[in-house]
Amino acid sequence: MSTLQPALEKTALSPAVRRRPRTKQVTTAAHYLVLLIVSLIIAFPILFALSTSLMTPAESLSSPPHLVPSHLNFTSYHNALQAAPLGKFLLNSVIVSAVIVAGQLLTSSLSAYAFAFLRFPGRNLLFYLFLATMMIPWEVTLIPNYLTIKQLGWLSTYQGLAAPFLATAFGTFLLRQFYLQIPRDLYEAAVLDGCGHWRFFLTVVVPLSRPALGTLGVYAFLQAWNMYLWPLLITNKTGMRTVQIGISMLQNEEQLAWNLIMAGVVLVLLPTVLLLIIGQKQLVKGLLAGSVKG
Amino acid sequence: MNAVVRARRRGRELWSAGPFLAPSLLLFALFFFYPLGKTVYLSFFLTNAKGEAKSFVGWQQYAELFASPDFQHSLWTTLLFVLLTVLPGLLLALLLALLVEKPLRGMAFFRTLIISPVTVSVATASTIGLLLFNPSISLLTYGLKFFGVPDIAWLTDPFWAMISVSLVTVWMGLGFHTILLLGGLQAIPQELLESAKIDGAGYLKRLRHVVLPLLSPTLFFVLVVSVIGAFQSFGQINILTAGGPSRSTHVLVYSIYRDAFFNFQFGSASAQAIVLFAILLLLTLLQFTVVERKVHYQ
Amino acid sequence: MKKALLSGMLALSLGTASVLVGCSNSEETSADAASNGVVELTLWHAMGGGAGKGLDAIVQAFNDSHDKIKVNAVFQGSYDDEFNKYKTAQGSDTAPALMQVYDIGTRYMIDSEAAVPVQKFIDAEKYDTSDFEKNILNYYTLDGKLYSMPFNSSNPILYYNKDAFKEAGLDPNQPPKTWAEVNEDAKKLTKKTGGGQTERYGMSMAIYGWFFEQYMANQLQLYANNGNGRQGRATQAVFNNDAGVAFVDWWKQGVDSGTFGNFGRKTADTQAAFAAGKTAMFIDSTAAVRGVVDGAQGKFEVGTAELPKTDGAPGGVIIGGGSMWIMKDQPEAKQKAAWEFIKFMADPKTQAVWHTATGYFPIRTKAYDVQELKDFDAKYPQFQTAVNQLHNTKPSEATSGAVIGVFPEARATVETTIEDVLLGKKTTKDSLDGAAQKVTDALGKYNQLYAK
Repeated sequence: MSTLQPALEKTALSPAVRRRPRTKQVTTAAHYLVLLIVSLIIAFPILFALSTSLMTPAESLSSPPHLVPSHLNFTSYHNALQAAPLGKFLLNSVIVSAVIVAGQLLTSSLSAYAFAFLRFPGRNLLFYLFLATMMIPWEVTLIPNYLTIKQLGWLSTYQGLAAPFLATAFGTFLLRQFYLQIPRDLYEAAVLDGCGHWRFFLTVVVPLSRPALGTLGVYAFLQAWNMYLWPLLITNKTGMRTVQIGISMLQNEEQLAWNLIMAGVVLVLLPTVLLLIIGQKQLVKGLLAGSVKG
Repeated sequence: MNAVVRARRRGRELWSAGPFLAPSLLLFALFFFYPLGKTVYLSFFLTNAKGEAKSFVGWQQYAELFASPDFQHSLWTTLLFVLLTVLPGLLLALLLALLVEKPLRGMAFFRTLIISPVTVSVATASTIGLLLFNPSISLLTYGLKFFGVPDIAWLTDPFWAMISVSLVTVWMGLGFHTILLLGGLQAIPQELLESAKIDGAGYLKRLRHVVLPLLSPTLFFVLVVSVIGAFQSFGQINILTAGGPSRSTHVLVYSIYRDAFFNFQFGSASAQAIVLFAILLLLTLLQFTVVERKVHYQ
Repeated sequence: MKKALLSGMLALSLGTASVLVGCSNSEETSADAASNGVVELTLWHAMGGGAGKGLDAIVQAFNDSHDKIKVNAVFQGSYDDEFNKYKTAQGSDTAPALMQVYDIGTRYMIDSEAAVPVQKFIDAEKYDTSDFEKNILNYYTLDGKLYSMPFNSSNPILYYNKDAFKEAGLDPNQPPKTWAEVNEDAKKLTKKTGGGQTERYGMSMAIYGWFFEQYMANQLQLYANNGNGRQGRATQAVFNNDAGVAFVDWWKQGVDSGTFGNFGRKTADTQAAFAAGKTAMFIDSTAAVRGVVDGAQGKFEVGTAELPKTDGAPGGVIIGGGSMWIMKDQPEAKQKAAWEFIKFMADPKTQAVWHTATGYFPIRTKAYDVQELKDFDAKYPQFQTAVNQLHNTKPSEATSGAVIGVFPEARATVETTIEDVLLGKKTTKDSLDGAAQKVTDALGKYNQLYAK
């Protein structure tokens, strides 16, 4: 687990590079130029959404299209918030994603422990059974799951949104690989000491596997935050819609008011963009820490 | 004697394992294995709009599927979509990761911009796509005009509709894939690169003989994740093209959704889902047996 | 029992997680139960944009004037989205008490026996419907029973840019009346740039199955057999007749000649094209008239005209739009409350306001006596076109519209077919034959489930 290299801040220049300063300067300049062009292209859709949100309705609908507004016009934000409870949508998405992340971390760290440390009859068979669920595409289970949730009376509820996603074979697999790197001696010693599985799990395994848990957490969060088909099917009340459904409803409702729609998009993007700006380092570190060594 | 002790211990560990495995197992039973069985069951029935199996039709829906040109078309469309999104997406993410990996001043800024698609979700990305690909007020079309490119019917021409949907998909995945590859790149021991450099290996040579082999586990991971993601793509298609025009973006998952929750033929949709399952199973096996052999684990 | 077992399994497996999410959001459901004597009811609708705001205003006015009833309106996306959502929610406690359903959902609503025919309430209090438009009532009446209360009714009209007409040397007060005239005018209105790019098309239509259905009626032809499913259950789609082929051929020739634009399936995209000056004429529902006129404000003058028809066609339109259904599984108090709201919506005054806010025409003639409406229509003659078109239509099985249970699927099939033809993938006749066969197959499956 010591393979995690927070190498992001690595700034030392190697002596080999320092040898030819002029070529280096040219390559560096070229590098910056490429960086600038590429990053602008990639971020363009988001920047354009921001720009459109500040236009007047007529500007956002004109042909030829405007790249930037003639003057900053913030009324579309006010109108977007009036047209749809975006704050509530965000809150719903946060709650559902948080529950799914927590659930996945809990269930998969537990099951990974059993597969990594315990020896019991049928373990391999069971592990293959787990892996098999990874190969079941979610769409295959969609219809019956929908019927189950409906039968439970969980349409348009948080539990209905989250329940089918609380266990993950992928997470189990990822964490098991990580646990296997924990020296077995630690486990033997702990068990000999009479320290039970739970204590060993809670005091040794979980703290040691924080990076892997972080990776799984980020991955699970992105998946949950992005859910579209499932919430589309099971939310019937405005107040229970997630961001994804809310924003496409807003588009559906306002069709031609592109400035308003884009204001909604920007508002909805705000939390994740802030998260990225603040936590870029942690995000990258967390993801590479889990070190997808398979 | 020893065997008895071991057997006893294993018995005890079975009891210990129970609580660790129970949550996952129960959830899997409820949300994976039971539905899988139910989907197989439903695929043999005609159902009403409430999803109740009404009349048994045996293999009829499978037979109809394989006889249906629409279904074959969906299969091809799915494969095409996977090809168009996975490989270019992977390649692009790799290039970007290499580009932002260099420790230059101000790199954090560029890095943030380049991985910014990680902040968008399928609905926001597709909504922005609707505006950029709009048939009458597209800034993209207008901008390309300056480069002498004739008007493109992004969403109303079958060829371009597929390209548009793929573009959005690749763009959405860029951020996450770049981060993963960046992580993989930075885990490569610096000493190896240094010694290759001292041996006189140029950038491309180092890339080919040191970086890529060491990065292969991450590349493989990204490949698997994005293949699964591509097969499951739904939101962008539903929002941007609704499977059209002329079924040109009618991928399998969209077809399942359409049959189930538009035409309300859960039986036929279930049969399609089972076919999708079979394809993915094959493909996953293929990935693990053929591709993973080329992966270099440390 | 099964439910209890499921819950048990889940509770067991989730442990802490279920405690976390245990805060079920019963706010909306529990509020539904009449606790303080106020009956709350949920209304689902598919009215976006200006129409949505218009409907919200009606709901607001109703709630303000009725202290014992509270209507919660929920927008559920397009008609298709809303209807499909309803089908999936049917039988759960999240289903609405009152729902706006599009015209083509009528057969399914009857077959699923989920609604109380409004005829019951009409008979019970001898509610007077004598001044309701006959053409509209025809659509929603089957077996002598009015199943749902019409609310928003529309038909398609031709919109045109008067300034572009002048620019092309055409008389802005002489819009085309026939397909041949449309072709001629479209040719003159089409504007190309030096590079051969089309800057403005003469004519456009969204690839929307509703237009196809309208043009079947316009040529007095049936969409499905058994009198459009009105004499008996339809068992066969018959739209692959000469009328269907003629209409799609006309469209195809226009596109091929480069004078008809194709802006995709969404009507909003064609509206946007018109507002941006990319097309000089287009066909769309009269419900868009308010939005289109407002959107062109300060840019050009908008004219409207009756649907251009082919030579020798009798003309006429089907009443499109939506009606209000009261759900059977709701307690009687809610059904009664829903009926109160329906009466409020059908009130001449409400209908007049609704008409001016959107372009939907009033469902009853008394609304034309309302002064505001008179003033408004004098100022905006564009709103008058659809009303004339409605009154000029002779009731018949063709113009009453088809009632088939698989209509949403049929409409989507026709749309794909039109795309296939416009893109040159298939010939018109082959393509329509294939589509009709598909719809007939779907009807067979549907009838197997629902026919008694």
